[in-house]
Order: sequence, then C-alpha cells, then structure tokens
Amino acid sequence: METALRQALHAGEKLGLRYALQIPQVAASGWTGSRSGRRAGSSIDFQDFREYQPGDDLRFIDWGIYARSDRLTVKLFREEVTPHLDLILDGSRSMNLEDTAKAGAVAKLAALLATAAANAQCTQSVWLSGEGFQRLPNDSLTPSAWDKLVLSSQRTPEQSFEILPPKFRRLGVRVLISDLLWPGEPAQMLRRLRDGAAALFVVQLLARDDANPPEHGNLRVVDSETGGESEIYIDASIAKQYSDNLARLQQSWADACRQYGARMTTLIAENLEDSLGELEAIQLLAPA
Amino acid sequence: MIPFLTYPLALMALAAVPALAAIYLLRNRFRRRQVSSLVLWQFQVQSKAGGAKINRLQLPLLFFLELLALVLLVVAATGPQWKLPQSARPLIVVLDDSYSMRAVSDNLSAQARAHDFLERLFRHQPPPSTRLILAGGDPRSLGTTAKSWREVNELLSQWQCRAPAAAIDTAITLAAEVDKQQANILVLTDHRPGDEKISNQRLEWHAFGLPLDNFAMVNASRTAFGERDRCLLEVANLSSNAHATKLTVQYGSNTVQSTSILLGAHESQRLVFNIPAEAPLLRATLDADPLAEDNEVQLLPPIRKRVRVQVALANENLAALVSRTLDATGLRAAISENPELVFHETGTAAGSNAWSMAWSTLAATNAYTGPFIVDTSHPLAAGIALEGVVWAAAAATNAPGDVPVIFAGNTPLLSVHEDPLGRRQLTLNLNPEISTLQNTPDWPILFWNILAWRISEMPGLQESNARLGTEVDLKTTGEAVTVTQPDGGKRFFPKTGGELALETPLPGIYSVVANATTNQFSVNVLAADKSDLAACATGQWGKWGEDTEHRLVEASVVWVFGLLALALLTTHLWLVATAKGRS
Repeated sequence: METALRQALHAGEKLGLRYALQIPQVAASGWTGSRSGRRAGSSIDFQDFREYQPGDDLRFIDWGIYARSDRLTVKLFREEVTPHLDLILDGSRSMNLEDTAKAGAVAKLAALLATAAANAQCTQSVWLSGEGFQRLPNDSLTPSAWDKLVLSSQRTPEQSFEILPPKFRRLGVRVLISDLLWPGEPAQMLRRLRDGAAALFVVQLLARDDANPPEHGNLRVVDSETGGESEIYIDASIAKQYSDNLARLQQSWADACRQYGARMTTLIAENLEDSLGELEAIQLLAPA
Repeated sequence: MIPFLTYPLALMALAAVPALAAIYLLRNRFRRRQVSSLVLWQFQVQSKAGGAKINRLQLPLLFFLELLALVLLVVAATGPQWKLPQSARPLIVVLDDSYSMRAVSDNLSAQARAHDFLERLFRHQPPPSTRLILAGGDPRSLGTTAKSWREVNELLSQWQCRAPAAAIDTAITLAAEVDKQQANILVLTDHRPGDEKISNQRLEWHAFGLPLDNFAMVNASRTAFGERDRCLLEVANLSSNAHATKLTVQYGSNTVQSTSILLGAHESQRLVFNIPAEAPLLRATLDADPLAEDNEVQLLPPIRKRVRVQVALANENLAALVSRTLDATGLRAAISENPELVFHETGTAAGSNAWSMAWSTLAATNAYTGPFIVDTSHPLAAGIALEGVVWAAAAATNAPGDVPVIFAGNTPLLSVHEDPLGRRQLTLNLNPEISTLQNTPDWPILFWNILAWRISEMPGLQESNARLGTEVDLKTTGEAVTVTQPDGGKRFFPKTGGELALETPLPGIYSVVANATTNQFSVNVLAADKSDLAACATGQWGKWGEDTEHRLVEASVVWVFGLLALALLTTHLWLVATAKGRS
C-alpha cells in the first residue's frame, strides 16, 4: 500500500475522533453487543413477561410466578446488539486519478467513517471493489491497521458486484464511497446495496478536475480506467456541456437514491475537511 | 504583365512565415490530460466532432488569414509596379502666348475661351499627366508635370499672352521631343494651322479666335533730329472695311495731335512730326477696339551720346579739316578734356579709355585708284563706296594684330587694333595732300562711322525705344545692374561682363539702374502680324487617334496589396471578436 494512502488513513483516523456515526434505530439489531436492541435478548435489562412457549430457554422461567399461579412464565430481557458499518470503497483507477488528491481523500474519508463508527460502538467492514468485492485485511481493526488499500481496478463497482458481491451484515449501515463515474443505471446498484441495509449513504467523491470544466484549448483526454483517448477542442460551449453532463449524472443518482431511501452527497477531494458538514447534513455523522 | 519589385530586399520579411507557422504548431498541439472516466465526455465525443470542426476549420482559417495578410504586406513592402492599361495618354498643351489671344469679343478673350475649354477637357477626360508649353517668340516649358487640374490651373497663371509672336510649330516640335512621341498634343491658339490637314494622330489644334476689325500702331520711332526729335507713327486699319479712329498724341500736358484718321481696308498711314528734344515721354493712343494692347505707344527721348574728341595732329591744315568734319557729324562733344577719341600722328594712345586714330604715313606717295577691298560688315565701313577715289598711301603691310578694314591690293588703308584694355587703335594710311578722299561723301561717312562706333562702345543703353520681344543692349563697365519691369518686377544682375542684352517680355517703361545712374527705355507693341485679327478663327483641326488611347504604363500597385491586407486583418479581427476563431 502506498505510503501516501497510509498517511491519509492516519489523518482520517485522527479526524474521525471528532465524530460519531449516527445509527438509525432500525439498525439496532444484530449480534449481541453493547447497544440495546429493539428485540428481547439476553441482556440483564428486564423488559417484560410472557407465557412460556416450547423452546424458550428454561433458565428464564420465573419460578416464583409458577409457584404462585402454577403457570409457566418466562422473563424477557432487552436484547443487547452491536450496530455495524459496511464501507464500500470504489477501488477503480479513477479513484486514484493522477495529479489529484482523490486517492488520499478516499483513504481519509474511509478512515474517518470507520473511526466515527468505532466512536458509535459500531463494528465495521471495509469492502473494496475490484475483481469482485473483497474485504480489506484487518478492516475490523483501526484504520491504521488496514492493508492492501489499492485503487487500481479497471472494473467499475457495478461490474465487481456481478463478479463477487459483498456479504453485507443485515441491518447494517452501508456507505458507498465512489466518484460514480461509470455508465449505466444507478438504480440496480442502489437496489443491491439497499437490500437488507438499515441505511444507505452514497458519498460521491470527486476531484476538483472532475467537478470543474477544463481550461480552453486542445485536449487529449485519457480514460484512467480503460486508457481510451479522445482529442477535444475545449471552448465555452464545450465546457458548459461538460458541466451539464456532470449535473445530469448527479441528478440520476440523486433520483435513484430518493427512490431507494438512500442519502447522497458530493464531496470534493481537495476540499474534504471543509466539506464534512455535508456528512452531518445527511445524518451520517454527528459530533462525538 | 510581370510585376516589377522596387525593393526586392523586402522579401526577406517572408522569414516571418515559418515563424507564424511555428507559433500555430505549438499553439495547436493537444495537451494530454487523464480523466476519471470518459463518461462525462460522451457528449464531448459527439461535440468533439463539432469542436474538431471548429478546430480544423476556424483555427486554420485564422492562420491562413494571418499568413495571407503577412504575405500581402511583404509584397506591398517590395513596392510592386505593374504595367496597367492607361485609359489616356499624357497631355502636352501648347499655349499661344501672343498678345492677339487677348482680343476681346463679347467680353471674352480667346485666351479665356481656351482656358474654359481646357477646364472642360480635364473635367471629362482628365489625362494622367500634363505639361504646358508657352508658344511665345520662343517656346518655353512651364514647370514640371502637373497631375491635376488644380496644378494645371496654377501653372496657367503664367500664361499672360504678351508675346509679339507665337512660335507654335517650334513648340509642337519641342512637345514631341519632350515626351518621346508618347503624349497627346493639344494646341490652343486663335488661328488656323498652316496646313489644315493634320496627319499627326496625336495632335489636336483648337482655335478660339474671331476675325475682328482692329486698328493698330504698327510702327513708332523717335530719333534725334538736330536740336529736336523727329517722331514717326504708323497707324494701320487691319480689317476688311474702311474705319475711322482717333489718334491722340501728347507729351506731358501738351497735346501734339488729336486727329481722326479714316483708313480703307488694310490701309495704313504714317505721321511724321517734330517735337522739342527736351519733351519728356510721348504718348500716342488710338480709340478702344477689340485688341487694346496695340492702341498705345510710348516713346522716350532718344539717347544723345557725344564723343569727347581731341585732335592732336601736328599738320594744322589736316587738323582743321578733321575738326570741321567732326563738328559736322553732330556727335562730337563740346569739350575735349578726358578725351574718348584722340586723333594723332604717333602710335601712342592718350587716356585710360581713349581710342586713338593714328595718321601713320602722311608722306606717302603711292596713289591707289582701286580696286579697293572694303570689309562691309565692319562698323567703320558702313556706307563707304570709294568710287573714283584716289587714295595716296604708303606701300606697307599691316602690323601683327591689326585687322584691315579697307585694302588696296595688299596695302592696308584703314586697319583696327584692339589692345589688352579693350581700347581700339585705328590706323589710317592716307596722305590727304595727294588724295581725293576728303573731297568725296565717303569722308564724312567715315568720320560718322568712327564716332558712331565709339558711341556704341560707351557705357549705357544704346536705345531708348524698342519693340516688344526684342533685346535692348546695355553696355556696362562690369558693375551690378538692376532692371525694373513695367509690372514692378525687378531683375538683378550682380556682375555683368561689359554687355548685357535685356529681354523685353512686357510693353511699358523699363528702368535700368547701373553705377548709381538710372536710365529708362520704352517697349511698345508693334507687330502688324499679331495685330491683324482678320485671320483669326474658331475651330478644331486634327483629332487624337483612337488607337493611341490605350497603352500600358508602369504603375505602383502597393495600394492594392495594402487594401487586401487591410480587409483580411479586418475579417481576422471580426472572427476573433466574435470568438468564432478563438483558439
């Protein structure tokens, strides 16, 4: 893994100490953990009584009530759960665009979210797209312990889904970090991500060069993923068309997010630290 | 049709063309840029065609505009000359400068009518260039070539029509030589051409005169006649009908004559009368008629010069004879101090400017009866016949440097020698005692000639009245001379070589100041030929040939290239301003 990315992970981790992941109530289910779930569980917090049903744990039968009423009654305790964060990182080469701060921003943002999740006593999994989705080694540890964060895939996240989809934890909070710059319908991708998730957040991370129209002049643009080239003469009208295309793409994702109950925001890599308010605005982060 | 480049070295500026190309090459190369995905450039790919269209059409258009403008400016800098068809030939106008052009009819002179014609010609068919030649007594070119009517009109102010003659044929010859047979020649005069059938394809003769009746003074003189002046006036009726006019002659406030003169067609009348020698300027005028210039003459008193003569002959009889003869001429001054002519028997001259007459061989015994050889072109020999004369002289040959005037065989009888100071020494080889010369009319004639010749060589004007256009001789001793013309114009001659011929272009009184002495002479219009308006006519003779109206002339075409470059640069500016050609 590149040293720059390692440093970005450290920086993100440090930055994330100030935030905590906002856990939606629907996500409070899962494995026994440190948070009270919405279902009865095995914690010590009493919740209710009900009649014994075959299969109930005999340890929770309230023998005092049986003695008084000759009815088998079991005690119900509040379930203790640990919420989970699934970070889905776009591992394509476009996230490591040369001469931009995009790769560092990906690492920093992922580390920030992971740290914020830890602050909210969430577990996390980090999925990196490539030849299918793979978990980062040591992704359950602190971000500085992560390994093999390499942004060099020629596959789009959508293609990676087709090859090997991630195994998300049910009712977890899922955050997709990508530039979203690939052709195709965002709806299918969002449907898969939203399936079984407590909440889905889409963070579009763009380099400033992605967001702003290029300067006037003759340009030979090279696709960072496919290596395809195109010679274009840039003038005011072409720059406007570029901005229109970007706005149209963002609008299609925003519409799809609204359809699937996901929340979306766009951040500029070179301006990441100043844009964290956007993450609070979509109720992904909250000050710790 | 191959262009001629005046400054071919300017082609070196074409080195800017590769520089321009290099600028565009560097400017148009594609900058490589990696992008996240071409998904946002999908429209660009479509519009890339549009962009490429702009790129490959508009941008090169600007380049080619600049390239073409650059080449045009370089070519303009070389000063190209192109042989272009010229619609008309240059024009040379021969202007009749004689005073007959001033004859007025219906308040318009022939000169004014010719001027109007020339102006109309310029308005309808302006020639590329024009030269003016004044046909006076001698043809004279007026200034340089004129390009416009304004310049021509400026030159026409010198067309005064004062000359007593019009040498039009000589002027036409001069015009033909001036532009090497290339120009059209236009003659503006008041009479027909000598040969009315003009075969020259480049000559047009336009006359604007009218046959008018005119009285004119055709002769006038005032000569010394003893103690009085004798005047002669000749008045001519230069018309085909009998007419009368009134002649008025006056000097000062005295009217000498005021008579009516009736003359038949083409008749003239001479009037001879005497006036006192002390009478000042004499003025004779005729009634007004179409030509005013020849209606007046002014006559100044004749110049009376006399020679201070010293007779230093030892032979008393001979001295008495010579003195009597000199007195009889009326040309001898009363005093003899500071003599201008000395008669003596030795070979030495007396005085710084005195001429001498040496009687060399009074004892000669050879008598010659002829034949005598006389140099009749010499001033001393004018009128001398020597018929029946016995001339006794010594048989001697002439000394070196002596110019014989009268010979008898090889014996010089009268010879002249000029010394280094310009003084003349006359030598008379005559023994009057056995000769008969002093008893013949040749004797006073000889003495008259001697004194008249001496007078002609004395400083000052030779005559006080002259005809217009003639030259008036002025003898000087080398001093500066200032001449004031009748119109007030002054001519200054800082150093003269002893003799000056003064031009008389205008009629009137001229003042000559030389050596603090002021002299005057009068110039009068006395030319019967020019005063005779009967032959004047109006019309056109000859026509410029059609085949000579088109010819190729080298002309500068810098303006063509300059205008094209300007148009290209304006288009370039418009393309850049409207961003259609922005790169």
